[in-house]
Amino acid sequence: MKKILIVEDEEIMINLLEKKFRDHGYEVSSARDGQAGLRLLREQDSPDLILMDLVMPKMNGYSVMEEIQKDEELAKIPLIVISNSGQPVELNKIRELGAIDWLVKTEFNPQELLEKIKKQLGE
Amino acid sequence: MSIFGFKRSNRLEDKDKKIALLLTDLTSLEDYINDLFNFFPLPICFISPLGVILEANPAFEKTSGFPSEEIIGESIKRIFDREEISSITKETLKEGLITGKDLSLFRKDGDNLIVRVFTRTRTDENLKPIGYFLGLFDLSDIKRTEDELKRVQAALLNILEDTEGARRTTEEEKDKTQAIITNFTDGLLFFDKNHNLALINPKAENFFEIDNTKGLKEIAEIPSFKKLTEFLGSDIRDIFRKEFIMTKDFILEVSAISMEKDNIDLGNLVVLHDISREKIIEKLKTEFVSLAAHQLRTPLSAIKWSLRMILDGDLGRINKDQKEIMEKTYQSNERMITLVNDLLNVARIEEGQYAINPAFIDVVKICQSVIDSLADGFEKKGIEFKFIKPSRKPIMIFVDEEKIGLVLQNILDNALKYTAKPGKVFLSIKETPTSVTVEVKDTGIGIVKNEQKRVFSKFFRASEAVLSEPVGSGLGLYMAKNIIDSHGGKIGFKSQPGKGTTFYFIIKKEETNIS
Repeated sequence: MKKILIVEDEEIMINLLEKKFRDHGYEVSSARDGQAGLRLLREQDSPDLILMDLVMPKMNGYSVMEEIQKDEELAKIPLIVISNSGQPVELNKIRELGAIDWLVKTEFNPQELLEKIKKQLGE
Repeated sequence: MSIFGFKRSNRLEDKDKKIALLLTDLTSLEDYINDLFNFFPLPICFISPLGVILEANPAFEKTSGFPSEEIIGESIKRIFDREEISSITKETLKEGLITGKDLSLFRKDGDNLIVRVFTRTRTDENLKPIGYFLGLFDLSDIKRTEDELKRVQAALLNILEDTEGARRTTEEEKDKTQAIITNFTDGLLFFDKNHNLALINPKAENFFEIDNTKGLKEIAEIPSFKKLTEFLGSDIRDIFRKEFIMTKDFILEVSAISMEKDNIDLGNLVVLHDISREKIIEKLKTEFVSLAAHQLRTPLSAIKWSLRMILDGDLGRINKDQKEIMEKTYQSNERMITLVNDLLNVARIEEGQYAINPAFIDVVKICQSVIDSLADGFEKKGIEFKFIKPSRKPIMIFVDEEKIGLVLQNILDNALKYTAKPGKVFLSIKETPTSVTVEVKDTGIGIVKNEQKRVFSKFFRASEAVLSEPVGSGLGLYMAKNIIDSHGGKIGFKSQPGKGTTFYFIIKKEETNIS
């Protein structure tokens, strides 16, 4: 079973995505802030994919990505950024920090996200 | 007796002879005096103690205009000012002489002469005055010359006064100019035609933290000042409101104007305007916009996702009525999302106008990141997309990366929106030695001729565009034009209704293109 880690501070978003992904046969774990997300990554088995917000309490998405980049193993995990703001310049920054994709929440829905993930995980 | 008589007679003869001799001498003396009197070029007359003219020489006749027969025996008062001559007569008789007194002489012809008078009394053997001589100098010529001199002097004084006035005005103007320069709220620098610093006002000294004891040459050597002169360039080109970063929190807006008169280069005036405060406000505004975007979009995306999942049946089956209402709610939420995006766009337009932060950047890289954010859209809609690059090497331009990205995103977004399956969208970059052209060609709906003029106006949406895509703010191209204009570039398009549209923008390669 493929494992997805969601790092997102919005409770409702986590609830919806957990439901969506579990219903489609994924194992889902989640963290409510960047620090918790990084802890999960370091302490538990590595997920197959990370979904992460940018603006979060304690540690923002950029900082988490910087930390991930320092760890060779973690840096290999595909990471998709889901955020509320979206400007081309940020995409460059996110790419430099190792993200494979970037989705603006208002422009996507969970179904589209699921399809993207399926494709990414080769299913 | 006879002897006596003889003797006497002899004596008498001797006496007679002597008298005769004396008489002859006297006569010749009188002649001599008369001749001298007549010859004398100075007017002289002899006046009795009662003021009657007893004698007058020809020079006197000439000066007074009166023949001697008309004045001999007449009162001297007829010729001179009564009071003046009375006092002269009195004084002469008392003192014996007067040396040089000016008085008026009334000539026969009515003219007035100013004369300087000298007098001396004649006395009898008992030293009793029997009259006095009066000699005079005609001062008219001298007076005339003197008057002339006075007039010349007055004229000269006038000229001097005028010159003094002009000098004072100039001085006042200079003071005024000096006061303006000194108290000007912006920093002012003046460089002479050899580009050496010739003037710096207190405000500018303030900017560079210079105390006023420093000489101009010393100032020119201060590191922060040198940084500015490097920024201005060795030839000090004309620039208008260009940002110059002194320190992180201290930003100046620099304008340089070359001054010339009658085609002669006088030097360059540089105006330094402190925009640090504006920059802080600008930054706060951007921060606020970003914060508002996040705050507003967060609940909107939560609603969107929840509704979508309910509608998709992820959270259990829903009946037809429920689905219908949910669908409408979902659409309302979508409109809300569009509205928020529009608000953000308006904020970005203003940033596009006022906050260009240029840097050297590879235009290919900008294009690629915009393409990446839209690639899925093309794929999903079934539109062929191609990116035609001129070469593999980077093409560097001096622009605000984020703003130019926004322009391209808007143009590509339009191409995607208004091109139907199985259409094509090509993005290409063309490079010349002086400029870079980015072009987006689509096979979309096109823009009808009579609407083409308004394409870049605020809130304008073409009628065909509204039909094919009801949601849209009409701000995208307005914003794009604003941004390209701020970069000193050019934006335009060619369109054939029903066949397609090609949008392009041109950015100059020099770094001087930011206004």
